[in-house]
Amino acid sequence: MASFKKTQIRSLPKIGQKVTADTLYWRKLNFPVTVKEFGPIDYIDVMPIEPYFIAVSSAAKVQIYNPITHQVHRHFTRFKEAAYGASIRSDGKLVIAGCDEGHVKLFDIGSKSLLRIFKGHKGPVHRCKFTTDNVHVVSFSDDKSVALWDLPSETEIIKFSEHSDYVRAGCVSSISSDLFLSGSFDHTVKLYDARSPTGSTISVDHGSPVESVLMYPSNSIFVSVGGTELRVWDMLAGGRLLARVSQHHKTITCLHLASDGKRLVTGGLDRHAKIYDVQSYQVVHTLDFPSPVLSLGITPDDFTVVAGMANGLISMQHRQTQAEARALNPKQSLKVQKKSQTAYRFRLNADFRSVNRTFNPATDVEVATKTDTNFVSRYDMFLRKFQYSKALDTVLTPYIRKKKPAITVGVMHELIRRNGLKSALAGRDDSSLSSILTFLARNINDPSHANIIIQVANTLLEIYESSSLTPQSEKLFLQLQEHVNREVEYVKHLMEIEGMLHILLASTTTQARRSSTYAVQGSPVKPMLPSAAAAANATMIFNVG
Amino acid sequence: MVKMANKKTRGPDKTQANTSDIVVKKLDDATDIVRQPPVFTNDSKYICIASGRQIGIYSVESADKVHSLEEHTFDVIGLAIKDDNILLSCDASGETIEWNINNGTTLKKAPLVVAGIKEFHSFHYPGNGKVLVATPSTYTTNMSSLWIVDSHTRPRKLFADIKSTPHSIAFGCNQGNGSLVVVALQDHSVVVKDITNGVDKKHMTDQRKFTCVALHSEKLIMATGDISGRILIWHDFVHKSRPVKTVYHWHTLPVNSVCFSSEGEYLYSGGSEKVMVKWRLGMSRKQFLPRMGSSIKYIVNAPDNICVATSHSDNAIRFIDSTNKINRAIIGLVKHDPIRGFADTEPIKESVMPTGLVFDPRSHGIFFNAQAGFLQLFDPQKNSLIFNMDVANRNVLTDERNLVIGNAEVLRVAVSPTGEWLATLEVWSNMSAGYHDMNLKFWRYDAVQANYELNTDVTMPHQDRVTALCFQPGLLGTEMPCLVSIGRDLKFKIWRLVDDTDIYRQKESWSCDVAGDFRKLTPSALSFSEDGSLMAIAFQDTVTLWDPTSINLNTTLSHTLVQEPIELMEFGRDNCFRYLVCASKSALYAWDVISQGLVWKVGQLHSSVRCLVPDPKSCYMAAVLQNSEVFVFSPSSSKPVHSVPKMNSSEPIAALFVPRPNPLASGPEWLINSRLLIVDDQQEFLCVDDVSSAGFNQKLTTPISHMDSLPWTPFSAMKAEKQISAAKQLVPVVHQTSGIQGYKSVQSLLETSASALPPMSRICSLFMSDLMIKHGPKAVTAKVNSVDRTSTDLPLSNGHIDSKTQDFSEETTLQKLLTLDCQWLVETVK
Repeated sequence: MASFKKTQIRSLPKIGQKVTADTLYWRKLNFPVTVKEFGPIDYIDVMPIEPYFIAVSSAAKVQIYNPITHQVHRHFTRFKEAAYGASIRSDGKLVIAGCDEGHVKLFDIGSKSLLRIFKGHKGPVHRCKFTTDNVHVVSFSDDKSVALWDLPSETEIIKFSEHSDYVRAGCVSSISSDLFLSGSFDHTVKLYDARSPTGSTISVDHGSPVESVLMYPSNSIFVSVGGTELRVWDMLAGGRLLARVSQHHKTITCLHLASDGKRLVTGGLDRHAKIYDVQSYQVVHTLDFPSPVLSLGITPDDFTVVAGMANGLISMQHRQTQAEARALNPKQSLKVQKKSQTAYRFRLNADFRSVNRTFNPATDVEVATKTDTNFVSRYDMFLRKFQYSKALDTVLTPYIRKKKPAITVGVMHELIRRNGLKSALAGRDDSSLSSILTFLARNINDPSHANIIIQVANTLLEIYESSSLTPQSEKLFLQLQEHVNREVEYVKHLMEIEGMLHILLASTTTQARRSSTYAVQGSPVKPMLPSAAAAANATMIFNVG
Repeated sequence: MVKMANKKTRGPDKTQANTSDIVVKKLDDATDIVRQPPVFTNDSKYICIASGRQIGIYSVESADKVHSLEEHTFDVIGLAIKDDNILLSCDASGETIEWNINNGTTLKKAPLVVAGIKEFHSFHYPGNGKVLVATPSTYTTNMSSLWIVDSHTRPRKLFADIKSTPHSIAFGCNQGNGSLVVVALQDHSVVVKDITNGVDKKHMTDQRKFTCVALHSEKLIMATGDISGRILIWHDFVHKSRPVKTVYHWHTLPVNSVCFSSEGEYLYSGGSEKVMVKWRLGMSRKQFLPRMGSSIKYIVNAPDNICVATSHSDNAIRFIDSTNKINRAIIGLVKHDPIRGFADTEPIKESVMPTGLVFDPRSHGIFFNAQAGFLQLFDPQKNSLIFNMDVANRNVLTDERNLVIGNAEVLRVAVSPTGEWLATLEVWSNMSAGYHDMNLKFWRYDAVQANYELNTDVTMPHQDRVTALCFQPGLLGTEMPCLVSIGRDLKFKIWRLVDDTDIYRQKESWSCDVAGDFRKLTPSALSFSEDGSLMAIAFQDTVTLWDPTSINLNTTLSHTLVQEPIELMEFGRDNCFRYLVCASKSALYAWDVISQGLVWKVGQLHSSVRCLVPDPKSCYMAAVLQNSEVFVFSPSSSKPVHSVPKMNSSEPIAALFVPRPNPLASGPEWLINSRLLIVDDQQEFLCVDDVSSAGFNQKLTTPISHMDSLPWTPFSAMKAEKQISAAKQLVPVVHQTSGIQGYKSVQSLLETSASALPPMSRICSLFMSDLMIKHGPKAVTAKVNSVDRTSTDLPLSNGHIDSKTQDFSEETTLQKLLTLDCQWLVETVK
């Protein structure tokens, strides 16, 4: 009871993108480092173990980049024509790539030597993958076939030729070495089991040419993209469609898992990469790129995001480290540092005062949490002492006035409630008057605050209308008037538009009613409410204008 | 016409038959505990508080009630401690009773005999068998005369024409020799009488009126407060005609009470600033205890100086310890201070208790205004305050000397049919600044925390004052709660709960779904049919009926006979669901919403209808008139079932039918399940009840189970409210279960998405064992049946209406207007 209740600061939620944990997380990516290649970037594969080398296939070569230095670690150029779909084995020692002449080539990353060539496809091989047992290779070719190869003996084990168009997408199961998926331009996605050589076990229709497929680590769900759609299929239920998501407005080209399998990333020709929540398939964040995205790679720790684009650019973005953040914003970081120091001191004192003398900072760190509940802001302190002018002065400092106008308005509101606005505004000198006037002029057209600002402006005019003003203040008053006039003009336009809309709405509803036999007398048209700005301005015309 | 005549003769008959056993009672426990200053016992362990006709003895340590003394038949006007454990009390008729404080028994009763006077204003006991009483002054009204009554001498008049408030008389200053000085206040002067030495003095200052006076019990010092907030300390005021005065001036508002500490070292003072000031006499130091919640009426110091008790206008007594902190409080039902600062155009009924009485189905309590910005929940069964809740969450502002500064006031309250949601409308307006604020707040009851949590706060829900708030009742309103508000900005708005959940958090909030208006008329009243399927909004004299789900206008009802603006409107309940009763300034009438005709009208009422309240448990309805007449009637006919004549001069403000915990065995039908509660403008509760159902203080016939009062736990939520164990149903269940053995596990397997399933190898054995038929000992199955509270509700479905058409067809011949101005109201009054 005896505690002073803080002044309520009302800040309306901002319209637009909401700040969520995900946007904060993905916004922490640094400015990208870009590398220019000669042709479009066909495929990017990330080594699943440290140091997370990135295999990029573009034009007639496969390059292995170091994600930290952005330098080419190895490059393989032994291709006659274009190389496609280079993928690194899970132990990070071997890399495999398909090429235009229909071969699948296996390289050693350490020695750069060509170890095996798998020949047998009649068309270019766009995707090839190691199976989980690391001794087999699956290749997906434009000759409409999918083949499984034995690594040591360099021989073909099985070949499935079920597709009727190019096979341009494929992936392998992360659990079983016998399962693999293929996606083709004939709109189908097929699941094969190497143990049943007769044909595919599941075949689903995606509805448009499949650009990429992905199997979840749990192996119960797979995802296919193609066209502007993302489709999620249930593998255990025999290929039941679980979800259809269409968030891109151009073809989706690539697919990747991020955040330990909790987020799904798709890149498309519309130059965006969308990040989805894998439970709800809602977009949680969007990354923008300068050119159509053809391929994506994300390191398992989310530290690096690599995107390959149609114009041959590779963009590599790193997550901001703490040291970097500190370097970028030294002021803020200093504050954080200071805070942590004081918190530590507080902790120490608190514990020495208590009975428990066996204090060990190393283990008992989580003991104290400093709560800021007793913090009283300066304006509240002055309001508590009924020093209204001082309270208003504290919230008219440039920082609060510009960055946090809600606080200034909140205090003005409280002053109106306390009937102390007049005394707070009266008797001000030129400089403090100018700060009030600039604040009013800046915020008078903000609909969320207009109500109070207009009240303050009216009071101000009432107080200073008869007193002689310096030219500077006079100019500011005129400026305020100009703002108001502009707003009034603006609202007039809006009201005209509203009137037009009313006519349109009324005509549509009457038509609808005429068509239905249901006759109601005077059923109300949902009237459009004047916007907050409009309502505020309606009163302003009376008061100021 | 024959029918009308019949009604005229029959109506009053029935009324008379019932009046004999229906009485209007005053609720005693709800009276205020701050009308008289409390009195500490000599050992400072107990405090005696007069509340109406009762006296409560409370422990200072725990602030709990120890004894309740109820012997007086009139309001107690004064308390005093006679000896160490004897309490002396006096009521307005002059009866004095001596009580034993330790066991609460009556020791002695004696009437005061003062020159044949039968009415007394205040009572003081200086000691030695002397008694000071104030009686009404013979010539001037609102003034008192002070008498001293001794056991062996005739009563002697000390002063005439003194102020009659309890603060304006003080005694003390025995100066160690047993002398007695009595002082009293007149408007601009202090009159002093030294009884032992026979000295008379009259001191005057300037034009400031005195408000309170205090004397030290031993030293010869006096303190007076005046309306400008100044405190004067008078030294040697008995002997000198121009005594030395010290000025202590901090208060800006009138000083309500001053009090010396027992050593005379300190002076406590308080007023409407809600600040207690502790002055150190002779020095300039003072200590403050600010924001005490409400303005201070009395300050009383404990004899041992350990603590100070302050009586506040919010019906609370707070104890302040020696470190200047409030550590305990005795809190009674709060009286709402009339709202100031509103425009003059506002009707008076808006200023006192504007929320009216709102029934809370969850706790069976009643919501109404407490102090500014607060809402209290009152339990009419136990007659106690459940809680007092801060709706506005703002600092309570005090007035300045020439300036009324209003506080946010709760103006409307609505409770959802389940009691889960509470909607409050708070308004703050400052007419001198030409500015007003309005907030519509939605609170959700949290069963675990056992309190209300703010869910949504809407600033300026309407552009102008909101007239009514109403949740959609019935089954339809439970899953998708919906609130309707009407305002003077000619709009009605429908607010719905919107699911705002995303992957990060679970969230629900309220938002405006529809805003509508009707021919630019002002909506004045709002009512839902009992099942929530029909919404009626009155626009001046026209009633509009809407479908609340689609917001389609079904019908408009208006008639040339009823052209006054409608002020109150209610749907009938139970089997009168089809009648819509409307009250305008001088008429009461009912519409039939199915046949869409005016059923009856009673015109030329004696005074306007103040409240129209339906009984939730029967079909009856009560109309409370401004001159405090009450009529109970069934909406189907215009004749009253019962009428209560004018009760007293006070004006009713709000009324409510309160359901009884268990129905009466016998009595008129409308009283069996509920009783009528009325609040008057003094905020006293009156109850229209059957004689046989004894007073409120009687024990409930069924004790309330302790389970009801316990907070919910996850386990209690799992437990059904009622369990029926039926041993008969032990019939062979094997046949039935064999078919659906493992049905649940199969279903759960099918329903769970494949991605969420654990590996097959892990659930396989479990799944298989579920499918197996067990041949173990059969468990006794108890059929668990949770009681469905709403099952008794009759939804206004089409079928229901059809079944009604039979008796309706008879009425169609009389359709449109059955009775016209039958005038029964006028006649019963005469």
